[in-house]
Amino acid sequence: MRLIYRIVVRLGIALLIIMSLWATLFYYTMVDEIRDEADDSLEDYSELIITRVLAGRALPQVGDGSNNSFTLTPVDASYVAERPHLKYEDHDFYIAEKQETEPARVLTTIFHDQQGQYYELRVATPTFEKVDLFQSILWWVVALYIVLLLITLGVTMLIFYGNMRPMYAILRWLDDYKPGVKPSPVPITADVKEFARLGRALQGAVDRSEELVERQSQFIGNASHELQTPLAIIGNRVEWLLDEGNLTDEQGAELFKIQSTLARAVRLNKTLLLLTKIENGKFPDSVQVDVARLVQDSVEMYGEIYASRQMTVQVDIEDDVKVEMNESLAATLVSNLIKNMYVHSAEGAEGRVVVGNNQLVVENDGEQTLDRDRIFDRFYQGSKSKGSMGLGLPLVAAVCRTYSLGVKYQFKAGRHCFIVDFS
Amino acid sequence: MKILIVEDDASLSEIIHRALVAEGYVVETASTFFEADSKLAGYSYDCILLDVMLPDGSGLHLLEHLRALGKRENVIIISARDSVEDKVAGLEFGADDYLPKPFHTAELLARVKSVLRRGRTAGELSISLGNVVLKPENRVVTIGGKELSLLKKEFEILLYFMQRPSHVIDKAVLAEAVWGDYADDSDNFQFVYAQIKNLRRRLADAAATIEIVAVYGFGYKLIVKE
Repeated sequence: MRLIYRIVVRLGIALLIIMSLWATLFYYTMVDEIRDEADDSLEDYSELIITRVLAGRALPQVGDGSNNSFTLTPVDASYVAERPHLKYEDHDFYIAEKQETEPARVLTTIFHDQQGQYYELRVATPTFEKVDLFQSILWWVVALYIVLLLITLGVTMLIFYGNMRPMYAILRWLDDYKPGVKPSPVPITADVKEFARLGRALQGAVDRSEELVERQSQFIGNASHELQTPLAIIGNRVEWLLDEGNLTDEQGAELFKIQSTLARAVRLNKTLLLLTKIENGKFPDSVQVDVARLVQDSVEMYGEIYASRQMTVQVDIEDDVKVEMNESLAATLVSNLIKNMYVHSAEGAEGRVVVGNNQLVVENDGEQTLDRDRIFDRFYQGSKSKGSMGLGLPLVAAVCRTYSLGVKYQFKAGRHCFIVDFS
Repeated sequence: MKILIVEDDASLSEIIHRALVAEGYVVETASTFFEADSKLAGYSYDCILLDVMLPDGSGLHLLEHLRALGKRENVIIISARDSVEDKVAGLEFGADDYLPKPFHTAELLARVKSVLRRGRTAGELSISLGNVVLKPENRVVTIGGKELSLLKKEFEILLYFMQRPSHVIDKAVLAEAVWGDYADDSDNFQFVYAQIKNLRRRLADAAATIEIVAVYGFGYKLIVKE
């Protein structure tokens, strides 16, 4: 969720709660105030009538324009005993003047004259309709809420984007940042302290990480390069002994074994160097590569090399897959997948390579699923195969990472299946 | 033929020196930029094996000096750096070949021979041994004047052997030379064996006076029959 949306939603919720509370409070205060006023006027009216009754004067006429009305009923003592002498209530009251029933505030007073006769006096004054008031307040509150919300959000967004510009600049910079590619300096704005700090911290982190990557790759590069000379010396000395020709067969065989072990070390060294170079983006030039052709070359070569395994490999070229990438990296990607298929197959097993739909699919018979999370790790070998260094799939993964290609492994129907997605 | 080895590692320098002397070349060595520079200023060589990384300077600058002096020695760069850019840089500075470390002795000798041959005989680059003549350019092999047709891989194997006569060639090294990186760490060299078997038969059928013999069970050697 974008920050601004989150702020908008939260502001909206906060405003809604505050406005609801405020509207409730406002409604009750209002009702209370109106009732208070009504009660005061009822009290006065009631007093007037009682005074007149007790004084034996004429009672006010209904219809004097005040909308007030009253009833005066003589009651007996037993009725009086059960009731309070003064009672306010709200209920509908028939107003003779208007000839209709309306919500009214009613005051019931019980009093007696000198003769001890009890009267019940009910005076009523029409009041407001609570539902109307409630609806009216609700409507205005909702309107106020919407207007307030719109104004608040508008102002907030304006201020937000105005002030967050440096942060968005930093985010754009981060989007463009690619490890290993010399980055432009982090955009740092001096006028907001927090953003300046953020920018400086980011610049520091990037500088450190760039330096580490650089130093690490230099180290691996130097270590591998430094190894080349001693490896060359050992190899050449072994070859010298072999060329001399005065060895026993056992000695000769032993030297060949040394040479083959040495060749392994040489390859390991070369492959690590290659892996480091790929990860450091040292293969910039791209050309259009025909995946089908690479597949056919690889299958032909490995078919010859692993002929003794008597595998059946079917190549299906469904349609042209052309990719814009470095030629030697494309070859590394394809040949390692195909070699993987040959190396990790039992004698007489079947394999299948499909090119099409912007994908390269390499399948071979297998017994059980491999550890999906680890097969692309360096030196991970599910089952140790002769002639495997455990660097083939890491190379594939490194090439795919360089070009953001999807590569995944599946095990279905007794087959290992590697899928590279070029789209 | 006089060759100068410019290499700071004494052991490597010694083994190259020994191998070249055994081939009948006159060999001198230099272990620093300064030493190499003064030798080059004073003497002429037919071929220079040049390490790029020297303790007191870059081999590439030595190449520049050489070209500035107007000398046209054949130069093979020997470098621990094996990348396209390094190769291109070396060749742009006027080197004739680029051999990344670690290399096989037989490979080094073949390159030296090839560079010297190129310098000597402009154009004509055929290799002959016994009654066999091989022209790498047009991929033709003649035995006693009669053309022998070979399959692609057989031709490449024969070329590899003819450039390295009487050197022991490891099956794995041959596989890598002919099949390229594809042959990396394969555990079984049946495919090499099958090709060699065919090639041997074709050579024998054509009455060639050269022969590929197996040595110590793991390698082969091309010899000229007595």
